[in-house]
Amino acid sequence: MKDFDNNLDRRTVLKGGAALAGAAAASSLPFGSAFAAGYPDRNIKVYVPTREGGGADRLLRSVTGVWKNHIGTNFEPSFFPGAAGRVGYEKYMGLAKDDMYEFLFGNMGPEVLNWVVKKPTFDLNDFQYFAQVDSDPGILFVSRRSKFKTVDDIIAEGKKRTLNVGVSRLAHPATLGALALAKHSGAKFNPIPLSGGKNTRAGVATGEMDLGALPSGGIVNRAKTFKVVLMFSHTNPLPGRSDNAPTMNAHFGTNMPSLIAGSRAFGIKKSAIAKHPDRFAKVEETLKKVFADPAFKEAYAKTKSPWEYVGLRNAAQAKEYADNIAKIGAEFKDLLAGKQT
Amino acid sequence: MEYDLTFFTEMLGRTLALWWVLIPSIFLGLIVGAIPGFSAANTIIILLPLTLALEPEIGLTFMVGLYASSRMGAGIPAILVNIPGTAGAAATPLDGYPMTKQGRGQQALSMSFVASIAGGLFTTIIALITLPWLSQVAFYLHSVEMIVIMFFGISLIATIAARDTLKGLIAGFFGLMIGFIGTDVVYETPRGTFGFLELYDKVPLIPALVGLFAISEAFAVIEKQSIVTERGKAAMQEPGWAQTFEGVRIAVSKWWHIIWNSLIGLVIGVVPGAGAAIASFVAYQQSKTYSKTPELYGTGHVEGLIAPESANNGVTSGTLVPLLVIGIPGGATAAIMLVVLQFHGVTVGPDLFITSPELAFGPFTAMAVTYALMILTVLPLARYMSHITVVSTVYMAPIIISFTLVGSFVPRAYLFDMNLALVFGVIGYVARKTGYHVAAILIGVILGPLMETFFLRAMKMSQGDIMVLFSSSIGNTLWVFLVISLALPYVMNLRGGKREKAAAHDPYG
Amino acid sequence: MADDAEAQEKKRVSIGSELIIPVAALAFTVYYFYTIWDAPWTAQVAAFIVGSVLILLVVLILIKSFRQLSRGDGEINFDNLIEPRSYIPKRLTLLGLTIAYIFVVPWMGFTITTFLFLSLAMLVLSDFTKKRLILSLSATLSLGGYLLFIVAFKTRFPAGPFENLMNGLF
Repeated sequence: MKDFDNNLDRRTVLKGGAALAGAAAASSLPFGSAFAAGYPDRNIKVYVPTREGGGADRLLRSVTGVWKNHIGTNFEPSFFPGAAGRVGYEKYMGLAKDDMYEFLFGNMGPEVLNWVVKKPTFDLNDFQYFAQVDSDPGILFVSRRSKFKTVDDIIAEGKKRTLNVGVSRLAHPATLGALALAKHSGAKFNPIPLSGGKNTRAGVATGEMDLGALPSGGIVNRAKTFKVVLMFSHTNPLPGRSDNAPTMNAHFGTNMPSLIAGSRAFGIKKSAIAKHPDRFAKVEETLKKVFADPAFKEAYAKTKSPWEYVGLRNAAQAKEYADNIAKIGAEFKDLLAGKQT
Repeated sequence: MEYDLTFFTEMLGRTLALWWVLIPSIFLGLIVGAIPGFSAANTIIILLPLTLALEPEIGLTFMVGLYASSRMGAGIPAILVNIPGTAGAAATPLDGYPMTKQGRGQQALSMSFVASIAGGLFTTIIALITLPWLSQVAFYLHSVEMIVIMFFGISLIATIAARDTLKGLIAGFFGLMIGFIGTDVVYETPRGTFGFLELYDKVPLIPALVGLFAISEAFAVIEKQSIVTERGKAAMQEPGWAQTFEGVRIAVSKWWHIIWNSLIGLVIGVVPGAGAAIASFVAYQQSKTYSKTPELYGTGHVEGLIAPESANNGVTSGTLVPLLVIGIPGGATAAIMLVVLQFHGVTVGPDLFITSPELAFGPFTAMAVTYALMILTVLPLARYMSHITVVSTVYMAPIIISFTLVGSFVPRAYLFDMNLALVFGVIGYVARKTGYHVAAILIGVILGPLMETFFLRAMKMSQGDIMVLFSSSIGNTLWVFLVISLALPYVMNLRGGKREKAAAHDPYG
Repeated sequence: MADDAEAQEKKRVSIGSELIIPVAALAFTVYYFYTIWDAPWTAQVAAFIVGSVLILLVVLILIKSFRQLSRGDGEINFDNLIEPRSYIPKRLTLLGLTIAYIFVVPWMGFTITTFLFLSLAMLVLSDFTKKRLILSLSATLSLGGYLLFIVAFKTRFPAGPFENLMNGLF
């Protein structure tokens, strides 16, 4: 595997050289700031811990398609799917150099929870997210055919019998939301991991599951089949497309941190930032420009996800989110790891 | 959903007018289906820019044509060179490849084409007629029922093991254990992964498939001149179309077999997450159980080839049902079709039949027309394609190895998977040479993890109560059928114990 | 049973090679059990059931082989694995080339490695006859593979000197 990646690096260099030559010829680079002189002078490689063509891929393309014009170089995604994101992170931490030419683009929530359940081989303190790109809230939903119409129906039934809740994985922010609701309300929820959103939707639609807990994205665009009954975020970003579902804190008076279930973010080795603060500043500055660029909104529309999810959050905000998820995860750790059922 | 004959005739006319989309998609589908590692799903992903640019109806027709023909394409290398290109074709070489060895490659191909086309066409029409009822199947076949259905497939291990029970069972159970490699589906505990993160998501199927079947065969076959035996070569001297027509004649004479097995495929295809691999093994097992000559299976028996091929094409139309009716794709290809439809702002689900019936019924008529067009385009190919089997092993063995290694790399782009294919190749070679059934190992590897998934899901839902396995009336009915189908061969043996001697050579060798 | 079956039984069974699969299966099962010893029940239940049956089956075949040995019906050798012996060098070379393929492809890229593998393997198998045919066949196939897999299907196969050159040119 190692050889393969070395080879990719060589290819990166070659292509990068060509790109630079082309850029110089065009001499229309949109940056000329004094800091980080010469950066970037080749392609930036992005490790993606999920499959090519997946949601993260599509989002990444819409971001980098615009970002490349602001930062002045191309982005090259390489995909390392497997083990719920573990493969990609391990590859990144094992192979990437800390020269600001290699990023990771992952889905913070589920991947942070991975580490709660089972520690990675690398030191988590060596890694950090530096820019959160979107925020898709975790939700509770039912099939339109279901006898449950509201979250109160569900809680009432859940006090009488154990309800099977279809979830993508146990270690997932949406699952934590369901567990937290059960704990707060006294209803009995039995989370059934169905390996991915597609299977979870199938489980709920066919009636094998009483209800489901997922990020909202795959549900709000299937409004004819599913009904959203509760949001685990602090606000409902899509009231019109989710039957105006209440948020957990508003409906139950709880004080939960916002459980954003889909939260794609760029991550990097901390040592890269320490070594090249000037380059990092440039990365942050140019990324901000992307979110102000109308071209990005246009590109994002192609992903078919609601624009309401998009919003750039900086390193500190991303850290706060990751810490929150890790904290709630730790609360349910035994349940997630099967120490208790 | 009241639609009259005029509507369907109109739909048929509309689809026929799109022949210029269907013909290229059929050829493309045959090619990608025949290359291991490629599939309709990843081809559609590659061609997404094109598909998205087309009108939804044309794009959908294109995808359906590609999907149906790729399913049939996968059978070609499975029969001719023992390389099932996808898990759905894994049961095809059991009898298809022995036929090739006997010099009946052309016949086997035309037979499988007829079985695929007839099975696909028939189930598509049935699906079209029974759509409202068929769409309900997914609401009744849940984890518990799927466990029993899986047992039908897994019990094939026992039937394959009939000749040397101990070795057959060891091979099958070894396969099941290999299939359990990877994290458990509930708590994601890594198991038996040798520390490789690449194995967390279970053994990838394509490397296992090509390793066990093709690479091991390539190493074994170099001691022979060609894949076809000397006697088979003599049989192939007979030039012309005779063998093709003979294949067609045989397949047509087994029309009842095609209908029955394609219906098995259709019903299994309707259940989201099931799929062609399960269907073809279940069909093979059923076909063998109720056959008058079960001992001939594995030796190049006609019905052993027709059963899986008609079943896996039945699945093709089945997967469209939940996609269009409840908006839940039945498989990977259907999932990508959903993405394309959504891109065009089409919301699938019951309403689709009212809002845009041409899109709701279109895929079924497109599939029917695809199958009909394939009769004309594909059958003539059988004669020429079968000649590949007389090419000297000097050339065939290296070509098979290099191209299957490529195929095992493609789905995940990990070099690790090429190593894995080689490991399975070595296991397969040793198994072959020492009398363990490669097919039994493979059934374990494919069906083991699926079985465990459904089992754990049922157990988790019942909170550990094993009696959940007998908690549904449909499930219980299936259990009874399972017991009958397992006991039947023994009962038949007791009653007619004289038929034994027929098969002299070792099946599944 | 038929006559040839009896003749077969009289031939001594080569036991060594027939035990490779069972021993491998046993070793793997033991290793597997070791990895799930402290795991939650969901990780264990299916594997313990299947693995226990497998161990039982392996013990049975070991007993059977032992009895064959003690009766003098079998002998320990690896004959049916390596017969016919005249093909051992070719088979090992093919295996070696396959391993080399996997290790070289990251450096040399798909096209060149495939060409080298195909031509070397075919040359060895054909006892170095028909060189011209083999070289042109290998070149056609590897170039065809390049066009199909890398150019048309955009497979992310490792790039080597050839692919990089092509990338640079077009």
